[in-house]
Formats: sequence, C-alpha cells, structure tokens
Amino acid sequence: MSTRAMAVLLGIALGMTGCGASPTPPASVSVAPAPVRPAGAQEITDPPKAADTGCVDPEASLRPGPQPTPGAMPPGSTMSRIQERGRLIVGVDQNTFMFGYRDPASGQLEGFDIDLAREIARRIFGDPNRIDLQVVEANQRESALQSGQVDLVVRTYSITCERKQTVDFSTTYYYANQKILARKGSKIHSAADLSGKRVCAVSGTTSLNRVFDLNPRPTLIGVTAWTDCLLMMQQGQVDAISTDDVVLKGLARQDPGVDVVGGSLGIEPYGIGVKKGSDDLVRFVNGALDDIRSDGTWERLYDRWLSSLGPSPGPPQPKYRDTP
Amino acid sequence: MTITTGTPLTLDAHASRVWVRRFARTTPGLVVAIGVVVAASCVIAGAVSAAALNMRIAEQRAVLDHSEPFAYAAQNLYAASSAADAAAATAFLSGGNQTPLMRARYQQALAAAASALADATAGAPDAGTRKSLAQVSAQLATYTGLVEAARANNVHGFPIGSAYLREASSSMQTELLPGAENIYSADLARVDEAQRRVGSLPKIGLALLVFTLAAIVVGSAVMLRRTNRRFNLGLVAAGVITVLAIVGIVGGVRLAASDIERGRTEGTATFGQLAEARILAQQARTDETLQLITRGDITASEKSYFGHIDDLLARIGTASPVATEAVQKWVASHRKQVNAYRTGDYPAAVDQALGTDAGASGAQFAVVETSLRDAIEQSRATMRGYVSDAGRYLSWMPIATLVLMTLAATVAVVGLWPRLREFL
Repeated sequence: MSTRAMAVLLGIALGMTGCGASPTPPASVSVAPAPVRPAGAQEITDPPKAADTGCVDPEASLRPGPQPTPGAMPPGSTMSRIQERGRLIVGVDQNTFMFGYRDPASGQLEGFDIDLAREIARRIFGDPNRIDLQVVEANQRESALQSGQVDLVVRTYSITCERKQTVDFSTTYYYANQKILARKGSKIHSAADLSGKRVCAVSGTTSLNRVFDLNPRPTLIGVTAWTDCLLMMQQGQVDAISTDDVVLKGLARQDPGVDVVGGSLGIEPYGIGVKKGSDDLVRFVNGALDDIRSDGTWERLYDRWLSSLGPSPGPPQPKYRDTP
Repeated sequence: MTITTGTPLTLDAHASRVWVRRFARTTPGLVVAIGVVVAASCVIAGAVSAAALNMRIAEQRAVLDHSEPFAYAAQNLYAASSAADAAAATAFLSGGNQTPLMRARYQQALAAAASALADATAGAPDAGTRKSLAQVSAQLATYTGLVEAARANNVHGFPIGSAYLREASSSMQTELLPGAENIYSADLARVDEAQRRVGSLPKIGLALLVFTLAAIVVGSAVMLRRTNRRFNLGLVAAGVITVLAIVGIVGGVRLAASDIERGRTEGTATFGQLAEARILAQQARTDETLQLITRGDITASEKSYFGHIDDLLARIGTASPVATEAVQKWVASHRKQVNAYRTGDYPAAVDQALGTDAGASGAQFAVVETSLRDAIEQSRATMRGYVSDAGRYLSWMPIATLVLMTLAATVAVVGLWPRLREFL
C-alpha cells in the first residue's frame, strides 16, 4: 500500500516539477507569405456580356470610294479634321509582343499594329510619324472611340456583331485563331483538358467570352493585360491562358517553358476600330488597307513582325456590304 | 484542537485592544496617536508621490529613448519604401539605358528601408506591432523580387517586364505602404499618449498629501484643546512643509506639462503633418511616373496627382516655405510634362518627368523631398528638446518630495516629544 502511495506522490511531484521546468515560451511572430497578384486580377463568375445579336456578316464593311492623295483630305471630312490637328491619334496596345508592345530598350511602341497605324498616318499626311499612340486597355476600346479620345483603335481588335453596335470596323486585316497556352508537360493539350483548371484571359475580350462558354467551365481569371496572364502562369496562379494564337506566340517567346497547344477554338478577324457613324473615315481606312494589301506593304509587315508564326498566309480578302 | 488553542489568543487580543483604547483616551495616548498618524502619513504620502514622479521621469526617458525614435524609424520605413517604389518606376521608365545613378537611388532607398525596419523592430512595443513589421519585411522581400524579375525581363526586351513592375508597384501601394502607415500612426499615437502621461498630475500622491495636511490640522486642533497651549510648533512646521511639497509638485508638473504641450503642438503635430506630406509627395511622384509607364488615358492619374499635391500643400502649411516653393515649381514642370504628353510628344514628356536640370520634375521633386526631410528632422529636434526640458523640471522632484516629507515627519515627532515627556 505505502509503495503505491509513494509512487502516486512521486508522480505528482514529477508532474509539478515538469510544469515548472517548461514554461510556455513567449509567442514568436509568424506571418503568411506576402500575397502577390496583378492589379485588377479577379475571378470571372458573371457572364461577361450579352450573347451575340446575330448580324449577318460582321466582317462586311463599307466599300472605299476614290482614295484622296496624302496631305489633301476632302474638306469637311473626318480626315481633314485629323489633318488640321496635325496628328492621327491611335489607340494601341503596349503589352502584346509582335503586335503592339513597348520595346524596353528604346521605350518606343512597336509591332504589326503600330506599323499598320503608321501606314494609315502616311496615307493622310504623307508622313508615318504624324501619329500619337495612346495605350488603351482591351475593355476601354469602345469607350475610347466613342468619347473621341482616339481616332482609330488598332489593337488586335476582333470584329464582332456585338461590338459593331457601338463602333464601326474596317475590313479584316488579319485572321487569328484562338488557342491555348500551357506549360510544357502540363497534360493540357486541348480545350477539353481545361476542365477544373484555372484559365486566364483579359477582361472585355472575345477570348474571355469563349472560355466562359466552355462546358464544363474552367475557373476563369480576368486581368487587364495579356502579360499579366503570363506573369500569373509563371507565379503558378493559373494553369493556362487562352486567346488568339498571335498573342500566345508573343507570350511564348518570353518564356521557353510554355507552348501553344490544341486546335482552334474559334477564328478572330482583326479590324481597325472607328467611331460609330464616321463612314468617311471607315471608307478611307478600307481604301488604305486595300493599298496595303495590294502594294506589298502587308507582306513586308508580316515578314518584319510575324514571320515566326510560319510562312505568310497572304492578306485576308476584304468583304464589303454593297450599299451605296 | 483549533478551539482550544484559539480561545486564549482571542482573549489576549481583546485585552490588549481594550488597553489601547483606554490609553488613547489619556492625553499621552492622544499625543502618541497624533504623532504616529502624522509621521506615518507624511512618510507614506512622500513615498507614493516620489514613486509617481519617478514613473513620470521613466516615461519621459522612454519617450526620448524608445517610443519617439521608434515612431521616427516607422516614418522612415514608410518613406523609404515609398521612395524605393518611385525610384524603381523612374528607373524602369528610363528604359534599357538604366543609369547607374537611378539604380543607386533605388538601392539607397532599399537600404534605408532595411535600416528603418531594423530600428522599428527593435523598438516594437508588442507582439501585434512585431507581426505587422514582419509582414512589411516579407512584403519588401517579395517586392524586390518582383522588381528584379521586371528588370531581368526588361533586359531581354520582354514586355512582361512591365507586368512585373506593375505588380510590384501594386503590391507596394495596396499592401506594404498601408501596413507601414498603420505601424507609424500607432507609434505616433503612443508617443502622444506617453507625453500626456508625463505631464499629468500624480493624483494619488497629491490626495495622500492633502490627507496628511488634514491629519496635521486635526491633530493641531485636538492638541490645542487638550493642552490649552499654543499651536504645537512641530505640527505647524510639518503642515507648512507639506503645503510646500504640494505646491512644488503641482508647480513642477505644470511647468513640465507646459513644455510637453509645446513639444506636442510645435514638435509632434508638425512631425506628423510633415511625415504625411512626405508620403503624399512620394505618391504624387509615383502617379506622374506610372502615368508615363501605363501610357493611356491620364484623366484618372491626373486627378490623383493633383489630389495628392493639394493634400501635400495643406500638410506643409507654413512649416517649410522651401518645400512649398519647390512643390509649386514641381507642379509647373508637371504641367509642361502633361502638355507634351497630350500633344503626343512622349519623349519630351519623359524628359520633363525624369530630367535632373533645375526646371524638370525630377529635380524639383528631389528638392521637395530634401526640404521635407530637413523640416521633419527639425520638428523632431524641437519635440525632443521640449521633452528633455520637461525632464529637467521633473528630475529633482522625487528626491525633494521624499526629503521634504521625511523632514515633515521628523519635525512633527520632534515637536510632539516635549508634550509627551511631561507625562513620563
């Protein structure tokens, strides 16, 4: 009996000394990793825009009339007002390699779209440098035209029925295909593999709408620039990016670990955006594009900027809606 | 057991209490009672007052040695982080030919932020503040990583570089700077609170002194009636000394409080305003640089720039005429930059923003920054000067109070002793 009592007492004593010997250490600081996320990035859960309104052929534009000579725009026309101002103001992109981007070495905006805009300026002033390039975000393209902030938008701008309700378009100057960009060896090979993945696209683009309409719908992240998508992929925040192949190729050139995969999710006709109702300017731009297609300028621009996409497919044939 | 041992004790205690009561009703008993009460309350009131005054001195030293330098470090952390962001944006805007000077300015700002972080962490008063500082530290490391990623991509000519820079700047503006601002404002509030405590009257000590005085007055009155003599000189002297101690404490603390108050209005308040002005200047600078990097519609960023400038001028007030003048020149240069931008002359706009000749924004911003920093240093010196002066008034008070009240106890006992001796 007494040995058991001794053992109990010993146990209590040990327990007490144990408590005394290991006092709780003062709380040490612990913080979570600092979050990083591009400004404006957010998950898209609401349908981006109303469904297409079903126009017959969105690509059909106004047929050009006789093309005025540079420096002598017809009085009273939209072009003559631009000529009086002395500069053509064009809304462009600064983050899309090959089409519109800021060369970090020179600080200048360059690319296929930029050169195309300069060709329009050449045909108004006779000088491709009479141009004021203003960066517009993808989702500001319509409002920039409507408010008169810019004369034209040359910015990988897909012609759609929906957009034609608020702005006018030139004829198509380039056909792009929407594809998918994924990490090499990531098991994403087509749109079907995107189920349950996080996919990035720029808010306000047709690409984002098309990803949103996928069934089953992947988790969709909307950002403000395509480079933000690549950045999020490099930081492991998204698994794939889906947009036009030319944009994706431009992104892939900046990161050897990613590649363009899968077939076309849809064809994107690029046109030049013009303020709604400026029919004279639309006709003038279409005339300029006809020149650019036929005099070899288009091929020259393709060779300069897009040769990494493969051999030139040739300039797209213009489509006109034949109303006087 | 307990009952048997307890009863005799209770009886003893009862007996002695009865004896004390009977003794106290006798004159010598009364004299002893008055002497004991007066002497004890003198000593207790003196000791309590001295301790309270000592606490104020310790608090005043803590303001000078800990809380004020800590608030200063937190302010520096905020300003240096913000300066790093402005410098990184400037360096990025200058393109591939990032000059060693611009790089050095960014690195200098980072080093300043790291130093301020070390100072601020060493002075952190609680776990919550240490946690906030750890968050700032983690964010700063992440921020520099993003800036270097931007630079590496920039070197290759990849447009993703600007995406990294925008992400870096966004994390700085939305995570790091608000965190640093919270730390800094909490610190400044603590300094203010500590200053208030230094200048407050020691209430318990004073109450005890007044009680002592009351005991002396009552004791004198009783002695006057019982002994039919004049006022007991010892008690009167003790009363006078106690009054002296009260007047000394109230007067000294009031003098210290007036210095502290001037330190608060001329130092701390100005310091806070100028520190805010410095941050606003950094934010306006980031506005005008980022609007050139973003290169789009500048309506929103112009609104933000002029909002920051208006607040900035309001904060400077009359504290630094040099800074006010430099801000006006900076705004003039900024208008030139915007005109160049709006007329499509982008290179001229960039030159106007980055230029280091006297007419350019870069140079004027540097003047604003330098003059604000000087004014901050000056208001800091003013505040520390007043707090230090307040310390001079307080420094002799604990020991003086203790000595005076011990003296009061002694003269009271010495004065009562002859009256007691008459009965021995």
